[in-house]
Amino acid sequence: MDTKITLSKGFQYTAIAMITAGAAVIIYSFIADPARAWANLLLNNYMFLSLAIGASFFIAIQHISQSGWSSMFKRVPEAMMAYIPYAGIIMLLLYFGMHSVYHWTHAEAIASDTLIQHKSPYLNIPFFFIRMVLFFIAWMVMTRLIRNASLAEDTQGGMLWFEKSETYSKIHIFLLAVTFSFASFDWIMSLDVHWFSTIFSLKNFVAAFFHGSATVVLVVILLHEKGHFKALNKSHMLDFSRYIFMLCIVWGYFAFSQFMLIWYGNIPEETEYFAHRWHSGFKVIFYVNFFINWFLPFVFLLPQVLNKNIRVVKTIAILLIAGQYLDLYEQIFPAVLHHPVFGITEIGFFIGFAGLFMFITAKALAAAPLIPRNHPYLEESLHHHVH
Amino acid sequence: MNNNHIVGVFDDEDTLMEAVNEVKKNGFEIGEIYTPYPVHEAIEAMGKKSRFTLAAFIYGFLGAAGVLAFMYYTAVIDWPVNYGGKPTNAFPSFIVVTIVITILTVTLASLFTFSVRAQIYPGKAYILPDARSTDDKFVMIFDKALSGSKTGELEGILKEKGAVEVYEKELKPQK
Repeated sequence: MDTKITLSKGFQYTAIAMITAGAAVIIYSFIADPARAWANLLLNNYMFLSLAIGASFFIAIQHISQSGWSSMFKRVPEAMMAYIPYAGIIMLLLYFGMHSVYHWTHAEAIASDTLIQHKSPYLNIPFFFIRMVLFFIAWMVMTRLIRNASLAEDTQGGMLWFEKSETYSKIHIFLLAVTFSFASFDWIMSLDVHWFSTIFSLKNFVAAFFHGSATVVLVVILLHEKGHFKALNKSHMLDFSRYIFMLCIVWGYFAFSQFMLIWYGNIPEETEYFAHRWHSGFKVIFYVNFFINWFLPFVFLLPQVLNKNIRVVKTIAILLIAGQYLDLYEQIFPAVLHHPVFGITEIGFFIGFAGLFMFITAKALAAAPLIPRNHPYLEESLHHHVH
Repeated sequence: MNNNHIVGVFDDEDTLMEAVNEVKKNGFEIGEIYTPYPVHEAIEAMGKKSRFTLAAFIYGFLGAAGVLAFMYYTAVIDWPVNYGGKPTNAFPSFIVVTIVITILTVTLASLFTFSVRAQIYPGKAYILPDARSTDDKFVMIFDKALSGSKTGELEGILKEKGAVEVYEKELKPQK
């Protein structure tokens, strides 16, 4: 059974047009307003990286739990992981914009601020980039190993690569737990250098897993609508939406825990973070964030009549991608720009990065058969049935 | 009262389900199915539907609303106290209690609902046709009076579909 897909000309032109239009806006905005441009670059690159990381965690969990139902779809998260090296290159570009986004890089700030001095053995530009390179190497090596094991299984069959995938996945989740925690501390939390929260990395990690899984589901549904994944049935949809439902609760739990404890403790050093995010127009975003990322999936994926419906799940998945943007907007923009902005710069950046992510994911999807050939649980996945 | 039943014993879920479908096709009415663990297909095949999830949802909804209303009444209306300058309606701090008590409400209310609906209570006399269904066997019983003259045919189908044992038994409540 050959299930290779080919990219239509229309899709390729759309993606390239998105990248070109995005690039034009990006170049213009770097000339017009560098601080805003760097904040956008960080937001969009981190966001699509988090989707790729979330997808890699999703597939690692499937390998470790030896899930049968999802084995048909494993090429989708594998393809999304292909974005990680590109995200690495773009993240390294941040070197030229450090002063625009990170307050702790300013020499005069270090000189006059004991807290930044105290943190400077960890938070300094050389070590920041050494860590960044190490994180990306770890992620690239692990995702490459998982992907190659899956491709080798296609040609060789047998149980060897199935077992190897599981071993790699076990290593991957431990590495990810450490590296992604520090990555979110470094890239996002250090924007507010005086503030810290120990649950921050956990919340961001869960957000990546949550929105990464939602994107996996969205890609599967889009491919199904194009006539692929013909075996996709109500049982698959139920399991997919259970995943999103479960993660929306976990996300809500962590996001609320972080907020509630800070609100209740009412210590100025901590509340400053949220006080700043409740000023001017940012307060709306705070509430909309909880509404999109927790309330909507919770209510709409609870009844079985809705959570098996492809159109409902598709709508929720699209909203969740917007939700991840909003969540990161709330974390990054107040720290860098101090007042809410949204305009052609933000739209252009998002379109450019979305085009790049689409293009890379689709290229990786087309590089291998869409449905793995020799996965031991493939038959179970094709005829998946739950009650 | 004649309480004789035909008892079919099966080794695994798959052979049980094949037999279930076959006897249904031949128009026999299944009395009851005993399995070591829940087999959802068997529940569906017997034409039984559960509204248990709906009940649990309603309990959860009422529990959450009740707890929030209670805390609002005690902390805001009846006895407002200033804790560290916070508003008396300290809504975020109510959430944790709401979650915990909602879980408690759902658990206890569901347990009682199940107990009442299934008429199970401590010390009840039970009917167990074959004790091995609590271990590793799957047991299906038929009222002999209902199958009447076709008993032989029924036993034939069960054996043909892989029953390891088919026998007749008079069922009595045990203590």
